[in-house]
Amino acid sequence: MAQNLHTVDAVAINRFKDYSNTGFFDEMFGTGFVVQDHYQQIKSRLSQIGDSELETKQQQVASSFLEHGVTFTVYGETEGTERIFPFDLIPRVIPSDEWHEIEQGLVQRIIALNLFLNDIYKDSKIIKDGVIPREVVESSPHYRVEMVGFNVPKDIYIHICGSDLIRDEQGRYLVLEDNARCPSGVSYLLENREIMKKAFPRTYREMSVCPVEAYPDLLLNSLEYLSPRNSGKPVCVLLTPGVYNSAYFEHTYLARQMGIEIVEGKDLITIDEFLFMRTTHGLVQVDVIYRRLDDNFLDPSFFKNDSLLGVSGLMNCYLKGNVSLANGIGTGVADDKVTYAYVPEMIRYYLAQEPILEQVPTYLCWREDDRKFVLENLQDLVIKPANESGGYGMLIGSSSSRKEREEFSDRIKKSPRDYIAQPIVSLSRHPTFCDGSIEGRHVDLRPFVLYGDDIEIVPGGLTRVALQKDSLVVNSSQGGGSKDTWVLKG
Amino acid sequence: MLSRVADTLWWMSRFVERAEGVTRIVQVHRDSDLETEFSQGAAEYWNSALIALYAQNEFEVGKFKDPGSFIIFSPQWIGSVINCVNAARENARMVRDQLSEEIWVELNNLYHFLNSEDAHSNFATEEAKFYARIIRFSLIFQGLSDATIHQDEGWRFMTLGKYLERADLTSRVLDTLTLLGSEPTRLDLIRALRSCSAFSAFKKKYRGALTLSNVADLLLFSEDFPRSLRFSLRCIDSQLHEISAVPSGSFTNEAERLSGRALAHMNFSDINSMISQGLHESIDEIQKLLIAVGQSIFETYVLLPSEINSTTPLQKLQSQMQQQ
Repeated sequence: MAQNLHTVDAVAINRFKDYSNTGFFDEMFGTGFVVQDHYQQIKSRLSQIGDSELETKQQQVASSFLEHGVTFTVYGETEGTERIFPFDLIPRVIPSDEWHEIEQGLVQRIIALNLFLNDIYKDSKIIKDGVIPREVVESSPHYRVEMVGFNVPKDIYIHICGSDLIRDEQGRYLVLEDNARCPSGVSYLLENREIMKKAFPRTYREMSVCPVEAYPDLLLNSLEYLSPRNSGKPVCVLLTPGVYNSAYFEHTYLARQMGIEIVEGKDLITIDEFLFMRTTHGLVQVDVIYRRLDDNFLDPSFFKNDSLLGVSGLMNCYLKGNVSLANGIGTGVADDKVTYAYVPEMIRYYLAQEPILEQVPTYLCWREDDRKFVLENLQDLVIKPANESGGYGMLIGSSSSRKEREEFSDRIKKSPRDYIAQPIVSLSRHPTFCDGSIEGRHVDLRPFVLYGDDIEIVPGGLTRVALQKDSLVVNSSQGGGSKDTWVLKG
Repeated sequence: MLSRVADTLWWMSRFVERAEGVTRIVQVHRDSDLETEFSQGAAEYWNSALIALYAQNEFEVGKFKDPGSFIIFSPQWIGSVINCVNAARENARMVRDQLSEEIWVELNNLYHFLNSEDAHSNFATEEAKFYARIIRFSLIFQGLSDATIHQDEGWRFMTLGKYLERADLTSRVLDTLTLLGSEPTRLDLIRALRSCSAFSAFKKKYRGALTLSNVADLLLFSEDFPRSLRFSLRCIDSQLHEISAVPSGSFTNEAERLSGRALAHMNFSDINSMISQGLHESIDEIQKLLIAVGQSIFETYVLLPSEINSTTPLQKLQSQMQQQ
């Protein structure tokens, strides 16, 4: 027999007795102490379950991830170790009006970024009109001079974009960065949802959450849309660096969900500027590659390197229009953190609109005034390399030693183009299980934007959480975990 | 399907079959230990097993005291059960999109178990359960392979791998009887049969007539016992013809030619001629045929002709994969 609700209420546990949210915007409590409407049901559900049941649920989730191989690999000196991406059971909830605005902001952003890439590799109008200096664009390590004058299929460079959003002390959503090369994490978004539906089926149903399961289909649609051949079913493949890559699970997961082949460079061969995959019954022509490989690894003969992961001749197939790539080549200019500072200007320039989503004010160290300011205020800023990912090589001024600040100071002076600085934004916090109690931990949000025939965003995204107390770094490589993200139906 | 995928599925399946077969050999030998004083022949039959598995040198230089735990756990010897399971799982990871979730979960669970501390304590305290777990895993794996995925080309390569490995294992078990240094005893014959799960099948067919000739006849020539060499080769030959859609009895590539020849060899010789030729020598000849079949499948379906002698620097490849 199910217990009736009265008895449950009678033993309700106040899990938030000692919860503190001072100094930060809290997803559940906002800036005050009253639970926000859209978290009401989560809070009451949490107060109904006993500690041991919660513990059990948390363990079941962890072992289920391990059992299903939902893991990533961390490489140390010799052997890689497999870890699960830590998962927190308390979902992040986003009300529909809030999501609607985020969605519009992201659509606006990906359109502007694509117009920008098409422009800089063709007419360079934005440079000629003085909005962005030429040297900013051309000094980006991901700028590909080989793309100048090339018409990318359907005029789309960025087909898949993962933009990281944070919230400041007032709860405003700000774009922190755009990942326009090979953003990863979407498999965790999808797996987190599956696990949450099992762990909290009733709450999930009662809150009427927008589903996310369509992502693989939408991704496949946007890939097929690129096919250079009109007849028949396009042959799309996912190109992976291989089994030793930390995101390999995601690659196989997406390939399986889309029902396409996952290939390595050695499975492909080019003949007369067409691309083929090697099968047991001979060669099969490939139309579209969803590549999870950086630009310069794609083709050793073209980029003149020793890549063993790529395919010799691939770039010629691409430049002849015989095979399409998602994302296109040279998109890294758009997620250079120096370029980032110009995105609001891009939106105004190309779309004659005001940016819907704000972003974090950014100091560019290559500008003399900015650099002077940055060097004088290192302890109050975050210093980031312009082209690193995974949260590596950053300096968080407020928690740095004098020695570290001096090192960064030298590095900035030596290569100012490679560094930017931003004020330290206290990311919003979210109630999170920490050793038996619930404490606030910093979170961000990575929605995945797909640009094909249409622009599609599955509601929500991957909420990443910095599990260490007071840490602002949410990256999985640095002790971050994740949560399911529930966008409520309007 | 992709050539690499076919190759990976084939190896995955071989490693699973090998893990099962080798585990069963250890299980049966440890069982024999209960009936035999070590001084009275146990050393001899363990030794013949190590020779048949090509493991003798590694065992002698290794730090394992008893051959049983060496065969299960040795990190150095490539054929140890733990290495087979790890390799099967590594291959499975490369082709997860081809496998059902159920298959993956079974293999992944066994992998995590064997690489945990629990495995060693379980082996020490509940040996019988330990073997049963590995063998049962393989049987579940085979059942799921037949029940949860398309029986398409990928499945055929898995089947090929399974039967080629099985033929190889059966031939090695039979070979242990020729390596004892003396005439096999009744216990030796029973051990060989049980190592191939063939003891009840044997009783059904030959009743009590436990002789080397009968045992070898069953393991080599039985038409309907699914671990005999002849049965395994028939499955290999028929899968190869399913893959190419060429009628059985003719060939269009080297793999079909060699498998057809190996099958004909089993179809048209008999136990008496093999014994008079020397059983060990005959088994050797069969093993050479099996190796040639395996190599020709690889060359026919996986490699381009230009690649047959080229090699890839593995470490460099791994480090580039990690950088991405």
